[in-house]
Amino acid sequence: MRPDAGTPMIELDNVSKSFGDAVAVDGISLNVPAGSLCVLVGTSGCGKSTTLRMINRLIEHTGGEIRIDGHQIRRFNEVTLRRRIGYAIQNTGLFPHWTVARNIGVVPRLLKWDKARTRERVESLMALLGLDVEAFAGKYPHQLSGGQAQRVGVARALAADPDILLMDEPFGALDPITRSSLQAELLRIQSRIRKTIVFVTHDMDEALRLADQIVVMQAGRIIQQGTPSEILAHPSDDFVETLVGGRDRGLKRASLTPVGEMMESLPDDGRVPAVHVLQTDSMRLAVSLMLWHGVSQLAVVDDTGETVGMLPLRRLVDDFGE
Amino acid sequence: MRGLRRYAPPLIWLLVLVLTAVYLSRLEPLFAWLEPDRQTVVYPRQSFVALLLQHAAIVAVAAALAIALGVGAAIGVTRRAGEEFLPLVSQLASIGQTFPPVAVLALSVPALGYGAEAVVVALVLYGLLPIVRNTLAGLQAVDRGVLESARGIGLSPWQTLLWVELPIAAPAIMGGIRTSVTINIATAAIGSTIGANTLGNPIISGIVNGNMAFTLQGAVLIGLMAVTVDSAFSRIA
Repeated sequence: MRPDAGTPMIELDNVSKSFGDAVAVDGISLNVPAGSLCVLVGTSGCGKSTTLRMINRLIEHTGGEIRIDGHQIRRFNEVTLRRRIGYAIQNTGLFPHWTVARNIGVVPRLLKWDKARTRERVESLMALLGLDVEAFAGKYPHQLSGGQAQRVGVARALAADPDILLMDEPFGALDPITRSSLQAELLRIQSRIRKTIVFVTHDMDEALRLADQIVVMQAGRIIQQGTPSEILAHPSDDFVETLVGGRDRGLKRASLTPVGEMMESLPDDGRVPAVHVLQTDSMRLAVSLMLWHGVSQLAVVDDTGETVGMLPLRRLVDDFGE
Repeated sequence: MRGLRRYAPPLIWLLVLVLTAVYLSRLEPLFAWLEPDRQTVVYPRQSFVALLLQHAAIVAVAAALAIALGVGAAIGVTRRAGEEFLPLVSQLASIGQTFPPVAVLALSVPALGYGAEAVVVALVLYGLLPIVRNTLAGLQAVDRGVLESARGIGLSPWQTLLWVELPIAAPAIMGGIRTSVTINIATAAIGSTIGANTLGNPIISGIVNGNMAFTLQGAVLIGLMAVTVDSAFSRIA
């Protein structure tokens, strides 16, 4: 999806983890290219969290090899390794007795940055995540809403500017609206900072929205990996098909496809349909507009409001399906 | 200014305690009225100030040892290396609370003989229990997610303990220390029965000789000392 995604930043090579006789992760291999966002998705207990936590050695793998930037992670001191990898979890794990600013600044402090540099970094991260410095720097975690606390959690994970960010269901405990706005925020931030992100979720919609690469796991194994549109178009088995929503997936795919990819040029007679849609909007929205307004074609406009094409209903039927 | 106001109650109690210890003997007429048939109505053998200082010293040494041992044990058994001992220690801590202090004192005499050392040992043993119990409760109540993220972002085990676990558990730990010290201020008085010089001396002497005035003098000072220390803890914790 992203052309600059080059060498793998994180490589898992036939990695296993067993707890006694129980095998949690069974011989998985995975490459995460630098600057890409890889989502591990699956039901509870499929091994996705275990896989994530093996990358920063919160859990030691028992078989295979994990490499970061070409180096085996076992070579690093585990504490040093973790300070170089951002980590955000579902319930934020913010330190309740520390202010927001101190929470965000904890890893720079561990790395012995001087105070001025830490403060500058904390303030710029708060700005990046839409947290007003004046209002929030001195607050304690219990004074924050769920969404604000999670923003602080993400800011803390990014504080020491790590190349890699591990996120374990970071938005799992949030209401749908807050979750959706944080997903949008994550995509916006990622387009600027281009970290290598491994993101765990059980929510396939979240995976489809965020991922460059989706890895579907079941019972400790990878059963399919690919881009969101590959997974939607060709689920490898019934399980993946169920995950991507079964017969609902036409709409899911539509929500991933921008109108601009499907539009046609304007007809020669110059008649422009009355209802319009942005070329960056999703096909799902386009369908919704057609249904709502009872029309069979839409005008497509760009950011400036200039009409750049049109979208007839027939395009959906003829070309959008498999 | 605000600091002064915050600490005013314990400071006032301390002032009352010191003044009482220094000037208690001036209240001779009052005690003479209480015990009209006695010639001596103010405990004569040591000054109250000396007894107060010795009492405080015994309690302080015992408290320091109990805090070090109790907090240390609770930290030890909540680490991965010591987790095998967690059930044992936490059971000992709850069973030990049901022991009467006099029994602990009586048991330490055969081991250490008479004197202040035996009292200190008894107080340490008795004072350990609330500290261990509260420290365990405080450490175990630290949110799992907080510990997980502390490890995950790269705090070493020591940093996790010092920056995260102990500060979060501090109110519970302080509560345990407060209970322990307050109980031991009272318990130390019994030390007089095994040869330590404490504010228990006038109390025991008063009981033995049937002189209520002596007993009252010891009891008032012990009471004031307990209130002073408790008041100080209520400001810190």
